[in-house]
Amino acid sequence: MVGAIGFEGLGVNAWLIWMLPFIGAAFIPILRNKNEKLKSYVAVGFSLLSAFLALSILPVGLSNGEIHSQIPWFSALNLDAGVLADPLAIIMSNLVAWISAAIFVYSISYMHKEKSLIRYWFFMLFFIGSMQLIVLSDNLLMVFFGWEGVGLASYALIGFWYQDRKKDYVGKEGHTVWGIPMWTSPTHAGIKAFLQNRAGDIMMLSGMFLIFMYSGTFGFRELLTDQTWAHAMMQQNLLVPAAVLIFGGAIGKSAQFPLNEWLLEAMTGPTSVSALIHAATMVKAGVFLVARIGPLFFALSVFNMQQFFEIVAWVGAITAMLLATQALVNPEIKKVLAYSTGSQIGYMMMALGIAGLTTNFIDGYTAGFFHLISHALFKASLFMAAGAILHTVHSRFMTDMGGLRKNMKRTYIFMLLASLSLAGAPLITSGFWSKDAIFASILDSNYEFSSYLFFIAVTVAVMTAFYTFRMVGLVFFGKPSQNIVNMENKGHRIREVNQLMWLPFAVLAVASVVIGLVGFAFEGQLHHVFATYLSSTFGITENGVIPLSEVQDTTGTVEGEGQHEATSGGSEMNPVAVAASVTAFGVGGFLGYLFYIRRSVDPAKINENVVSKGLWRFLYNRWYLNSILYWMGVVIPLGFYRRVNKYFEHLLMYGINPSVQHSMVFMSKVAKMAQSGDVQIYLYVFSAGIIVITMLLLS
Amino acid sequence: MVATFMPLILSPVVYFLGKRKGINITTWLTFGILAISTILVIIPSIGLGSGGNYQEIFDWSQLGHFGLKLDGLSIPFAITIYLLSTIIVIYSKPYMVRKILIQFDQVKNSLGNKSQFDDVENESYSATDGKSLSTLVLNADQKNYLNEQLALYYTLYLVFAMGMLGTVLATNLFEFYVFFELMLVPSFFLIAFFGYGNRKRTSIMFFFWAHVGAVVMLLGLMAMGFLSGGFDYDVVKANVSQIPPAWIAVIVASLIIGFGVKLAAFLVHVWLPDSYTDAPTPITVLISSVMTGIGAYGLIRLWIELLSGPGNYTDYSIYVNIWGLATMIYGGAMALMQKDIKRVLAYSSISSMGYLLFGIGSESVLGISGAIFMFVTHALGKGILFMMAGSIILQTGTRNMDKLGGLGGKMPYTAVFAMIGGLTIIGVPITSGFMSEWVLFNGALQNAVVDWSSLKAISFALAITATILTSAYILWMYKRIFYGVVPETLKNIRDSSMYILVTMGILASLTLVLGLYPDLFYKPIIGYVESLYDHSPSEIIPVKIKAGTGQEPVGQAGVSPDQGQSTSNVTNVSYFGSAQKTHLISGNQLVSFVTI
Repeated sequence: MVGAIGFEGLGVNAWLIWMLPFIGAAFIPILRNKNEKLKSYVAVGFSLLSAFLALSILPVGLSNGEIHSQIPWFSALNLDAGVLADPLAIIMSNLVAWISAAIFVYSISYMHKEKSLIRYWFFMLFFIGSMQLIVLSDNLLMVFFGWEGVGLASYALIGFWYQDRKKDYVGKEGHTVWGIPMWTSPTHAGIKAFLQNRAGDIMMLSGMFLIFMYSGTFGFRELLTDQTWAHAMMQQNLLVPAAVLIFGGAIGKSAQFPLNEWLLEAMTGPTSVSALIHAATMVKAGVFLVARIGPLFFALSVFNMQQFFEIVAWVGAITAMLLATQALVNPEIKKVLAYSTGSQIGYMMMALGIAGLTTNFIDGYTAGFFHLISHALFKASLFMAAGAILHTVHSRFMTDMGGLRKNMKRTYIFMLLASLSLAGAPLITSGFWSKDAIFASILDSNYEFSSYLFFIAVTVAVMTAFYTFRMVGLVFFGKPSQNIVNMENKGHRIREVNQLMWLPFAVLAVASVVIGLVGFAFEGQLHHVFATYLSSTFGITENGVIPLSEVQDTTGTVEGEGQHEATSGGSEMNPVAVAASVTAFGVGGFLGYLFYIRRSVDPAKINENVVSKGLWRFLYNRWYLNSILYWMGVVIPLGFYRRVNKYFEHLLMYGINPSVQHSMVFMSKVAKMAQSGDVQIYLYVFSAGIIVITMLLLS
Repeated sequence: MVATFMPLILSPVVYFLGKRKGINITTWLTFGILAISTILVIIPSIGLGSGGNYQEIFDWSQLGHFGLKLDGLSIPFAITIYLLSTIIVIYSKPYMVRKILIQFDQVKNSLGNKSQFDDVENESYSATDGKSLSTLVLNADQKNYLNEQLALYYTLYLVFAMGMLGTVLATNLFEFYVFFELMLVPSFFLIAFFGYGNRKRTSIMFFFWAHVGAVVMLLGLMAMGFLSGGFDYDVVKANVSQIPPAWIAVIVASLIIGFGVKLAAFLVHVWLPDSYTDAPTPITVLISSVMTGIGAYGLIRLWIELLSGPGNYTDYSIYVNIWGLATMIYGGAMALMQKDIKRVLAYSSISSMGYLLFGIGSESVLGISGAIFMFVTHALGKGILFMMAGSIILQTGTRNMDKLGGLGGKMPYTAVFAMIGGLTIIGVPITSGFMSEWVLFNGALQNAVVDWSSLKAISFALAITATILTSAYILWMYKRIFYGVVPETLKNIRDSSMYILVTMGILASLTLVLGLYPDLFYKPIIGYVESLYDHSPSEIIPVKIKAGTGQEPVGQAGVSPDQGQSTSNVTNVSYFGSAQKTHLISGNQLVSFVTI
């Protein structure tokens, strides 16, 4: 049960899971003069080693064990460093480790003949190390270390091709909205990602400070065992603000509204990096953080945390809607996938939020996490497949592809499988089950606005199916585009990528379908694991929260009973949810099929109608949010600073020195004038002085 | 004692020896002197732990005692100052040799030209001159000139280092002032002799500003000394209640303004950009990293520690806080506007000094501790960045970022170290920057909440938002230097010599070490800052949070920790206005925290 195992046994494994990638990162530069193969294999070796260590503690997680080991660290403030491997962390850690291992294998081939491999592998290892640190650390401060670590690694990898060559840009060149260019260089994108994340991070820091101030600890377990801080914060009405501020960090990292804009530009990095960012590390960190603190705040529900969960749910819903609509019209394959990631993360947030708005926390929580798992699988697969295509056709625009299904059969098949999962094809894909679980948890909740959330969720599902089919249709169906014809004329044969490249995404796509085939059972199992975890650690059961003291008093004895209770409830199918889910797939999929696969309707028709054309432009210009962001955040402040620099700093401040100088010169001139050497004037002044003095004396 | 005065006493030796024997001997002799002194400073510091101090005191005329003291406040300052001074000696060698040779050419070429040094635009001097030092063949004239100038440089350098150290170790107001001016004089000459651009004018301006600041401060020092009946810190501290309240205001104002000038706070910052740009880069490193920060030391030591009566600190702290905020934002905004690397970094220093002021005005243990640690952090981070600027000037001959670009591939080591330095300034974890920033901001927020003051809350919010500004200018500068396309003129650039890279590497590893083990400095710092309020138990305590140290919190209304209790309990549930403590058990170690 909740056993704090020390620094021995499996405890060491938990430490090493996140340390190994860092050690690997430190080790890689030593190989700088070695050949490419060695570098790549060493890096992959480190990631695999970490993955196997993660696997070694998986049984602990599935049997609801917990590894919690601490060492003294910052003793001036009595802060400990520690790892906390509870079921949530262990499952997440395995997911991260294995998906990143697959991406690493893929990178060997994808980054073949790249010059700066050392830098690439350094930051890739640093990336997964930081992510595992977020997952496994037992306190918010260490989470923040990892948090900034992934931010830094993403900055470095998004701007990996720092020479800013035109081919590495994203966006259509020449496309400006309100004077803001919508195409971006890699380094620009890196800075944008870093700064937007920073905006989220400072919110998270402020939230952490508030909690630290009242509790004197950052530790998740310590915050749970002693809840007096929550009392104090509630009295000051600071509890919800602090929670929301911490969620602000998740907004930044997971690219949720309103900090969503960096995610699209993040596509400037190598595709393997995009896969890592979207599937395993960066954006999942935000969801994980919410999954980490969500139960804690739900366990504090006596303090009325409803608003926090409402905000989480609505931010998720808005983001899901916002980004799904934009994905409908974008011509770049990686950007479509990026929009879709943001949108799917919105789903997860919605589920985690809705979990806190019901008495049955576990359903929503499981749904959100299940969707995280299935999304990680199919999105990693999709990105790697997209990378394979980019690798072959040398273009990021889907209009430069087309008809590829004959030339790249394997890529076609596996990408189709993963796409079906994203679209939520009924019964056989993991995407279907997890989406269905989210629908069901929204429907089952007794939140007053849940019908609106449900409506948004279904609409987004329709759009998801549509843009997925659009993507598949544009890439694999229809006639080969001009670009491909040109390439073939030049003697480039369009052919399948090599084994090392397609195998990783094939495995993930198949995994996604396999989980889909046993989807119901898988969900049940997950539900069971989380139910036991939540009830034993947080006192969260099917019917609300029981005081933690009772849980801990009885942990040893009622363990079996708790498990029994957990398995009995939950995870029966909700017919409305299933129906909605199937219909959404049907409608969206059919429209996509009609437009882009059978091509019986020409999508160019949109331009004929004023309304649809305006709508298209609105979506294509990203709801003008990017432009607003740039105007408010960059252009206007810089203009203001420029004025200040010109008039205040240079005119006024820099004027101080010369004006002191000139006034001194002037004074000396005045003084000099008196020394004219004219005796008559001297005598005159002298006698005038005597007169004045005499008069003063006489008076 | 030896540590302080050895550089001063040996500086003539360096000069004469250097003139005769040449540049290598001078460099290593200077290095040796400073290295030994550094060790002599570090040794007593290690034994001190979180409390106590190490003192050497001598009688000194009627002004009181001449003493040198290492305690929780001066340890981080002293070690940083000497460590940096020592390392920069090595860094100086290739840089100054190049600089002096160029000056030699200028002198030779412009003989008979009346305005030989005025308005020399020094930007395009060495792109063609890119031979490495070892292959440089010098004629006899050049050699003599070089020996003499470098000897002079290191002589002034030693005095400069010693002045800075003396300032932070002084135990007497008068002694403080003497050292304070003593560090100014050599830096003035260093800029005037070895600077860039209009260096004589700049050096005079630098001297003028620094001296005006010092004189304003002197006013405060004299008032403190005369009104409390002695110049020794101990005497002032004991008799602070004798100072009339009206005078307190004058003293505090003069101290804040005087040190504000030194810190180049907003509105009195105008001396800084030019001085930093025109000073030779190794000296810029020292001035920027350590010399300006001494203003912060002065404020903490003379204001917060010595004038410890009720309200003497709290009544004015909010102004310092807001002044710091303004400096922070203004420096950051102006840094975005610059094209010259050194100017960006100069404004960035202004901004960082704003952080220090912000922390000092935050009225909390953590805020002040964070500010002290920030000094160390800033010294390391900005030191690396200025060294990066020097490395680039040395290799490319320009510091105009419009002419640079894509150097990441050409100068990889400089780029890596500069990144670490940049991250330190931004405050990203595992660099020490984060460790100072979060403690500092945490303290500020605590104070805001404890006072329930919306002004302070807004000030905190703006300050923490200003870190985005910091990241923006650092990253943008980095992009303009290291990313993009390499200009045609710089196709054949190589990375700097080992002298430069190794020294940068040492600082970079130090910031990583401090980021992982902040205890090294935080223990003495927090111990010191907590002790600040020990002697005024009944007065209003400006610092409301006591970070857990296991020792009895002093001057708090709460109940002392009960070592035997094992479960968490709350002893006092009135959260504001009195103390509340929670005891947590973590493992078998008792962690006691006093909140608020």
